[in-house]
Amino acid sequence: MIVAAFATEEGMREAAAEMRRGDCGFVETYMAMEPWEAEVGVEGGSVLPTVMLGGGIVGGVGGFLMQAYATTVSYPQNIGGRPDLSWPSYVPATFELAVLGAVVAGMAGFLLLAGMLRLYEPVDEADCMRGAMLGSYVLVVRPADSACARRVLARHAPIRIEEVAE
Amino acid sequence: MSAPAVIAAGETAQSVTERICAVTLREGARPWTPLWWWVAFAVSLGLLGMGVISVAWLFYAGLGIWGIDWPVVWGLDILNYVWWIAIASGGTFISALFFLLGVEWRTALNRLAESLTLCAALCAAIFPILHLGRPWFFYWLFPYPNTMGLWAQFRSPLVWDFFAILTYVLASILFWYFGLLPDLATLRDRAGRPGQRVFYGVLALGFRGSGRQWRHYRAVYAVMAALMAPLVVSVHSIVGMDFAGSAATGWHSTQFPPFFVFGAALSGFAVVLVAILPLRALLGLQAYVTARHIDVLGRLFLTSSLCVAYAYLMDAFSTFYGSDPAERTMFVLRVFGLYAPVYWGTIVLNIVLPQLLWWRAVRMTAPLVWLIGLGVLVGMWLERFQIIVTSLARTQMPSSWGQYTPTIWEWSLLFGTIGLFLTTFLLIVRLMPVVAMAEMRAMLRGGVG
Repeated sequence: MIVAAFATEEGMREAAAEMRRGDCGFVETYMAMEPWEAEVGVEGGSVLPTVMLGGGIVGGVGGFLMQAYATTVSYPQNIGGRPDLSWPSYVPATFELAVLGAVVAGMAGFLLLAGMLRLYEPVDEADCMRGAMLGSYVLVVRPADSACARRVLARHAPIRIEEVAE
Repeated sequence: MSAPAVIAAGETAQSVTERICAVTLREGARPWTPLWWWVAFAVSLGLLGMGVISVAWLFYAGLGIWGIDWPVVWGLDILNYVWWIAIASGGTFISALFFLLGVEWRTALNRLAESLTLCAALCAAIFPILHLGRPWFFYWLFPYPNTMGLWAQFRSPLVWDFFAILTYVLASILFWYFGLLPDLATLRDRAGRPGQRVFYGVLALGFRGSGRQWRHYRAVYAVMAALMAPLVVSVHSIVGMDFAGSAATGWHSTQFPPFFVFGAALSGFAVVLVAILPLRALLGLQAYVTARHIDVLGRLFLTSSLCVAYAYLMDAFSTFYGSDPAERTMFVLRVFGLYAPVYWGTIVLNIVLPQLLWWRAVRMTAPLVWLIGLGVLVGMWLERFQIIVTSLARTQMPSSWGQYTPTIWEWSLLFGTIGLFLTTFLLIVRLMPVVAMAEMRAMLRGGVG
């Protein structure tokens, strides 16, 4: 893979966009803050809000059904003459479990989809990566067409280029 | 008059990163850990030790070592729980609610405020367990399949409380840690000492700042913030319902849930001010926590004090507008009886003193704001004393009236949790980045002033 460091976010973004347009290979950008705007050639947003909604529904519905089962089937109790299925009193715990389900799903989904928790990542072999979280703008390309990638990089004048074995 | 800037002039993404990393990593600094930190840590450990002894004695001797008895069956245990959980709310309000509102001043405060939330929530979570009498059976509150065939009583606000605290503590930890990931990665790449590189490297979980990571990160953070804001309101509403669900005099009121949310906001903003004012000087954060932050926090503080004043007023109004003589008798005794100093202390510290914050000169005078904040923390503790103890001491039947005096073991437990709070907070301040660097960098790129 080819790893290039740029002095500015614009330089990195333009090089990444051109590589994606030219099908030079798989391109990933690295920087120390959230990108200014969506990258050219990167389709769609994150699926994780939907995953969190799913986690919330599982937590909430599961919590409600657990309470309903406990108070109607497993351990019915007459509390102040209320019906066994006194659903309004299930609402607080249902809400809390829905929030818990959503937050846990978000964290777990992030760890999975964002490629975290990997014990080895070849890109770390590049010295350029040392500055990615300190203010450098790093572009990594796994070239399908190495000549194309080098041509684009030459046009955008990165401050450093490295080649790393995968 | 134009508002002061949220960050000092001349600050850049690079300077913010360098300054905050220097506070945490302290490369080349002598001593490596500042003396003030060691002094504060020693005091905190001393208090924590007192709490450990108190808990050990409680486990050995049982609840009889506390001053609770009939009719005052809830004492400092529940009082301290409600006090701590309210203190915890400030960080969530600042971090989640003001994130959703898109205000710039929260960026420099959210990390410290969230850390305060975490530490206070941990202290709060201890009390309901200790108060159980046989705390080693606390797991019976979990709805788990068991051979006894028993379930928790899901119609009780006390069980709702269990779910609320469980969710709040876990969600606060995850929200805090998730927000830390980019900054831990920055520390990992900046650290010079091998031990620090490993420590922050493991904690960063492999965050590298890739486009894919940022895309997912921002989406998850926004949804978490959107969930944390109603969560904090639900937690304090449920704490209010712990009381409102009972028929005790002074408790059975529909205004308790919002009343407790107002009180939580007041004590939450108070603890943020009390912690941040000395820390900005000790850690050299004046460029990031500016006069604008102090001014805004002072205004929020004043607003929440006015909300609490409204709740106190409605409490008095509904008591005398209603027709229950026991409620009226209890209220008169609360105001003029044995515990009257507690009531008037509450009014002075929570309502009267914060009115000084109407004056900008007062809001801009850090020692005065700090003292008012400290006064509110004491005032909110007194408020819980008058809600819990006065109501239980003056029940519907005068023949059952009693009084309550906390024992040394209850006081030592309170000071022990203050020690736990300070110990955990000091460890976070020493080991974690105290300002959200990635968010500050993004804010600076957007051009703020």
